[in-house]
Amino acid sequence: MLPMAFTTPCTATARAAFLPTEPSAARIERLRQKLFSVERATGLTAECGLPLELGIAAIDAALGGGLGCGALHEIAAERETQSPAATGFALAVTARAARKSLRFLDREAFCRPFCRLGGNASAHAGGRNSPGRRAVLWIAEDLSLCENGAPYGPGLDAAGIAPEELITVTATRARDVLWAMEEALRCRAVGVVIGEIRARGINAVATRRLSLAAAAGGTLGLLLRTAPDDAPCAFATRWIIGAAPSSLLATAERRHGIGPPRLAVRLVRNRRGHLGAWIVEWSSVEQRFELATHSELMAGAAIDRPHRAAVA
Amino acid sequence: VWSSVSSSQRILSLWLERLSTDRIAQQWRDAKGPSQPLVVFGKRGTLDLLVAVDAAAERLGLRNGIALAQARAMHPALTAVPQDQAADARLLDALADWCQRYTPLIAADPSDGILLDISGCAHLFGGEQKLRDDLLARVRCFGFSARAAIASTIGAAWAAAYFDGAAVTPAGGERTLLAPLPLAALRLPHETVAALARLGLQRIGDLLDLPRAPLAARFGTDLLRNLDRALGREDEPLTPGRPVAPYIAEKSFPEPIAREEDVLATVERLAARLKLALTARGDGARSLELALFRTDGAVKRITAGTSRPLRDPAAIRALFVERLAALGDEIDPGFGFDLARLSVVVAEPCPDEQIGLAGGEDQAELDRLVDRLSARLGRTRVARLIAQDSHIPELAVHALPAQSTAGAELGWDAFRRFRTDVGLSPRPLRLLATPEPIHDLLALVPDGPPVRFRWRRAWHEVIAVEGPERIAGAWWSEEEGGPARDYFQVEDRAGLRFWLFRAGLYRDIARATPRWFLHGMNA
Repeated sequence: MLPMAFTTPCTATARAAFLPTEPSAARIERLRQKLFSVERATGLTAECGLPLELGIAAIDAALGGGLGCGALHEIAAERETQSPAATGFALAVTARAARKSLRFLDREAFCRPFCRLGGNASAHAGGRNSPGRRAVLWIAEDLSLCENGAPYGPGLDAAGIAPEELITVTATRARDVLWAMEEALRCRAVGVVIGEIRARGINAVATRRLSLAAAAGGTLGLLLRTAPDDAPCAFATRWIIGAAPSSLLATAERRHGIGPPRLAVRLVRNRRGHLGAWIVEWSSVEQRFELATHSELMAGAAIDRPHRAAVA
Repeated sequence: VWSSVSSSQRILSLWLERLSTDRIAQQWRDAKGPSQPLVVFGKRGTLDLLVAVDAAAERLGLRNGIALAQARAMHPALTAVPQDQAADARLLDALADWCQRYTPLIAADPSDGILLDISGCAHLFGGEQKLRDDLLARVRCFGFSARAAIASTIGAAWAAAYFDGAAVTPAGGERTLLAPLPLAALRLPHETVAALARLGLQRIGDLLDLPRAPLAARFGTDLLRNLDRALGREDEPLTPGRPVAPYIAEKSFPEPIAREEDVLATVERLAARLKLALTARGDGARSLELALFRTDGAVKRITAGTSRPLRDPAAIRALFVERLAALGDEIDPGFGFDLARLSVVVAEPCPDEQIGLAGGEDQAELDRLVDRLSARLGRTRVARLIAQDSHIPELAVHALPAQSTAGAELGWDAFRRFRTDVGLSPRPLRLLATPEPIHDLLALVPDGPPVRFRWRRAWHEVIAVEGPERIAGAWWSEEEGGPARDYFQVEDRAGLRFWLFRAGLYRDIARATPRWFLHGMNA
C-alpha cells in the first residue's frame, strides 16, 4: 500500500513541481499537499474537517492551520510538579474542540432545517445529549489520580468542558489505559480522548496504533504525561508545558487577585511545520488563548525564576 | 413465567445421604489418605456424638447419635473427624448451583438435600425417569451417594426420597405414596413424632382419616399443614436460591468445549435465540449472565452489564470478549464445559431501533464503548460525574458508573444556576481525593492568607492570593460537620496555582489548633 501511494501521485506531480514558471510559495504549498496525500495513504492522517485552531496566529501557522483532529498529540509537563499546567493546556484544547463541534452543528442546522428537526427528536430519545456534542473521555491511571488529583466537575465546567459530556475511566495499569484509549479513539461518538500516563517509556508501536485509531475515528487524542519523553513516536505534535507567573510586574510584594492562567508552551515536535516556544494566556470565559508578550518572557525567566533557569 | 400452581408443579427431591463423609473421603482420596471406617462427630451439649457415618462404619453397626467415646470403644481403628458445617453448606450450595443444568428453580434443603422444580423441564431429558437417572448417575459419578424421587409436591417428593418411596409418583398419587410411610416423612419435629407414636400412630396412613380438629388442638397446626402440603391440598412454594432470570437460552455439548472461540461462538448463537424472545416481548437485556458448567461439576458464572437495553447478538458477544479477556486464567476450562447457559438477568423495555437519526446513533455507539470498557475494566471504573447538592467541595461531585447513568439527569444545570446565584468563586480543575496537610506554613496574620508553605517537600512562595472563601461545616450532619474552612486560591513564584484551606479558626484555638491543607490544583 505504501509504495503504491508513493509512486502514483509522486511521478505525476514531480514533473509539474519543477516547472520553472511556478513561484516558490505555491511550490511549497503543493509539495505540502503531496506530502499530506502520502500521509493520508498510510492511515496516520485523516480528513476530518477543519483543524482545531488555537487562536494564536503564530502557533496556528506553525501547526499548518491548527491541531489535526484525527490525530494524537502528546502534552507533557516540564516536571512532575508542573502537571496541573499540562492538564490546563489539555483541557483548554478540549474546551476549544467542544466549542468547535458546537459551532459546526449550528452551521449545519442553519443550512438544513430538517437536521434540526432530527436533532430535536433524537435529543428527546437520547435524553441528555444534544446531537453533535461528542463525548470527552478522560482515561487515567489510579496512581496518577492519586498524585495529581481527580478531574473536578465544577472546575471543569468553568473551564468550558460540560461535565455531562465527560466520562472518566480509571485503570490500574498503563497498558490498560492505552487499550482503553485505542478503543475510545476508534469510537465516532467520542470527540476528545485525554489519556494520562505516568510510565516513562511508551513504545513506538503503541503510539502508532493510537495514531491509527485516532485517524480512523476522527478523534482528537491528547496524551497527558507528567514528564517529557524524547523516545521516537508517531504523534502529530509534542508539547512541553510549564506554568508561568500570571504577571511579572509586581513581583516584589504579594498581590491580591489572580489573573487568567499563563502557560509556558514549547512545541518540540511537529510533523507539519517549525517548532517554537510561547507564553500563552488562557481566557476561560472567551475560551481562547492569547499570546503574552515576548519581552515579558525574557525578563521574567532570567530574573525571577533562578531555579527554573538552573534546570533548563 | 413459572407457575406454582400445585396441579402442574413437579418437584424432584435429591438427598445426599452421606454428604459430610463423602466430602471428607474425597479430600483424602486426593491426598492419598487412609480409607477406614469414617465417622463425623459434633458437640451436642457436653457430649461428642456421631453426626455422620460412612457406609463402612454403618456396616460395623455405628449409627448417628452414638457417643464418640462409645464408638471408639467398639472400634478402636475408627477415624473420627470433627464436624464442619460451613464446608458442608458450601458443598451443598455448589451442588445446588450445578443442578441449575436441569432447571433454574433450585432450593437447597437445609443440611443435606436439594429441591428442584422440574415442572416443564423433564421432556428435555427424555422424561422424568430419565432425568432422575441422569441426575443420580452424575452425582454418584462425583463421588456422592444420593437418592432422589419425583412427585407433585415438595412434601411427597421429600418423603419418597428420604424414606424409600416410589422413584416417580404421578400427579394425584400422593395419598398412595404417603400412606405406608412413617410419620417422620412429614418433616415433623421429633417430639411430635414421638407423641404421635405414644398414641399408636406410626404411619401417615393412620392420620389420613382422623378428624382434623382434635389433631390440630393437640399437636398444633404444623402437623396438619405439613400433611396438607404433602398431599397437595395446600400450596407450598419453592423459594429458589437464585432469582430466576426472565430469559434463558442454553446449549449442551456431547463433546465438552474448552477453547475461548468456541465459548464465544456459543454465546453468539444463544444470544441470537434470546433475541427472538426479547423482540417478541419488546425487551432488551441490561444485565447478562453466562453460566458455563464444567464436566467435573464446577460452574463458572460471568456477568456483563449494558448501559441500554441490548438485543444484538454481535454486541453481546463483544461484551463477553472483553469479560473473558479481563478474567484471563480465572476461567479454567479444566476438561471442558458440557453445558452453556446465557440468561438475561435484568430486562428492560427496549424501543425498536431508530434509523437515520444521527444523534441517536452516536449515543448508541457511545453506550457500546462504555459497555466494552466497563466489561474489561470493571463497572465502577467507567464513570460520569454527578453534581450533588452539597457545599462541601469534596461532596459536591460524585462519580457514578456510566452504565447506569446513560441518559440520566446529572444535575449540572442546577449546579450552574446555583453558581450564578451565589457567585461561587473559582474551583480547581483537579481535586485531591483527600486534602493533603501543608507544613511550615507562614501567614502574616493568624487568619490571613499564606505567604510561604511547604508541600510534598518543596517550598512555595506565594505571590498572588484570592480569598478567603469560608465554607462552614454542616452542623446537621456528622459526615460533613467538620470545622469551618477558609479557602484561598494562591499562585506561587513559578506560576503554579493551588487551592488550599485552613480548617478551623484562630478564635477557636482553645478547642483545636487550625491546620492547613492543600485540596486542589489549577492550571
